[in-house]
Parts: sequence; C-alpha cells; structure tokens
Amino acid sequence: MNCQVVQKKLIFFLEKELSGAEMKAVHEHLDICPNCVLFAQEMKATLSILDTDKNPEITPFFYTRVKAKLENQVEAENQVAHRPVLVRVLQPVAFSIILLFGIYGGIRLGNTSSSKSVNVVAEQELIPYWNDLDAEPIEIFLLD
Amino acid sequence: MPDTEIIEQLKQGNENAFRRLVENYQKLVVNTCYGMVRNREDAEDIAQDVFVEVYRNVDSFRADAKLSTWLYRIAVNRSLNHIRDNKKHKWFQSVESEVEAKNRQLLQLESSKVDQPEYDLENKQRAIILHGAINSLPENQKVAFTLSKYEELSYQEISEVMEMSVSSVESLLFRAKKNLQKKLHKCYKKKCM
Repeated sequence: MNCQVVQKKLIFFLEKELSGAEMKAVHEHLDICPNCVLFAQEMKATLSILDTDKNPEITPFFYTRVKAKLENQVEAENQVAHRPVLVRVLQPVAFSIILLFGIYGGIRLGNTSSSKSVNVVAEQELIPYWNDLDAEPIEIFLLD
Repeated sequence: MPDTEIIEQLKQGNENAFRRLVENYQKLVVNTCYGMVRNREDAEDIAQDVFVEVYRNVDSFRADAKLSTWLYRIAVNRSLNHIRDNKKHKWFQSVESEVEAKNRQLLQLESSKVDQPEYDLENKQRAIILHGAINSLPENQKVAFTLSKYEELSYQEISEVMEMSVSSVESLLFRAKKNLQKKLHKCYKKKCM
C-alpha cells in the first residue's frame, strides 16, 4: 500500500471499518511511513473533538422556558382569533372604501382641472379685441 | 412512566406528562440540534420549538412509532430549516468577513470550554476546522453523520429517522466520511492543522 491509498482509507482505519487484510496493510504502512503517521495522529486528534463536543450542558429552567414559549404562542393566537368580528371585517372594508374614494377623488380632480382650462380658452376666444384708436382717432381727441 | 403513557396523558392535556417528556428528552433534542447548528443558544432555542411542536401535534403521533424517532425527526427538520434561514439571512446581510466569523466561532468555543484548561488553542483550531468540514457536507450526509457521531444511533435507527433504507444510510455515511477525509487532508497539506 502506498501513501496515497493509505491516506484515502485513514478515516475508515481509525474508525476500524476496514476489512482485516486492509487494516493489517495500513498498519504495516504506518510502521514504516512517518509522514502518514503524522497525518493519522492529526486526523485522530481532530476526530476526537467530536467526543468532547457531545452533550452540551443544558441551561437550567429549560422546561420553564418551553412552557413560556408555548403560552406566548397560544396567547398570540388567541389575540388574533378573539378580535371582534366587526373589527376583522370592518377594518378591510373601511380601508377599501378610503382607497376607492381616493381614486375617485383623483379622477374627479383631474377632470375638473382639464375642463376649467378649456373654459379659460373659450372665454379668451369670446372677448372681442377693442381698439381705442379706431373708436376715437387722436386728432378728434386733441381737437376736443 | 413509559413513553406510551406519557403520550396518552399528553393527548389528554396533562401538563405533568409534558414536563416529564421535556425532562426525559431535553438532552437528546438539544444534543441533536447542537450537532446540526453548532451553537448552544440556537440549539436550545430550536429544542424549545421542537417540544412546542410535539405538544401541539401530539394527536398526530402514531402509537406504533418510537417517540425518540419522532423527536429526532422534528429536531433534524427544525435544525435544517434554521440553517437554511441563516444562509438566506447571511446572503441578504452585508458581506461579513471570514476572519470575523472565525473569530466569533473561536470566542464561542472559548466560552463553552472555559473550565477546561486542557482544551488548548490547538484543539480550538482543530474544532473550527472539523466543524467547517462537517458544515460543508451535503445536507443528507450531514444529518446521517451527526446522528451517527453525536447521538451514536445505529444505521437502522438513522434509517428510521431519515425515512430511507439502511443501505442508503450506509452509503451516505461512507460518502460523508470520505468527504471529511478529503477536506481534512487538504487542510493538512496546507498546514492549517
């Protein structure tokens, strides 16, 4: 067995999951290869972290906190469920009406302003041009 | 009090039965969640949600199933959801430097092992590398590996929790270990361990 093969099987060797013959071959290689031994030691030390990692201590009052969470959830749901029907129905209806009024008001406002501008133009068109000089020439005015 | 009795009483809304259930299984659930998320506070938070879900859905529990299997399944699903949510959250967050994240992890390890002086810097570094390698495994492999290593479940038990065949679990664990070895070897070559 060469280094490459051994290093590929090392995790299974450390977990003792190789067949008898393979275990023996890896053992024999490790006896003569210091580089692979180093890697095997590192690998073993790294994997042993899993054992120290297990069973984290649980903080006290775990049940109390579970119970509080459960009660909070139930309370929140009850608040939503027990809101008066009128509020639950009327609120969206009121908002819809306000929205519709807003749209209608906007449309009306738009129409009014456009019709006003047409009127202004019409008024301007109706007023006849009045020329003072035509009505009373300057000579007559001076003579008077 | 046996599990069947606890479940029966829980179905009738008995609070003492719920207390008994939490006390009997809190270690199992917190440990499973911790194996998945590797953060103590998050693991306890998820574990609380697991028990709340159990309390609310106890009527849907089949009498022929094992209570522990059901708890493992909920704990794994909740933990996976938490990891997915965190990933999304991180994606939306401004880019956090890798160094900062590693420092945070180191700090967390320090605080969790502060009473163990033998837990030296070398081991902390190893723990970060190992957790990083486990976290980078595909979801299914990670679940199988965590249940096998943290909870020491048999292939049969893991297959029941994950709802797949024993041979699939074997294959998942084989690939998980192979991937871990590859990552650790790469790290060893780069002299980071």
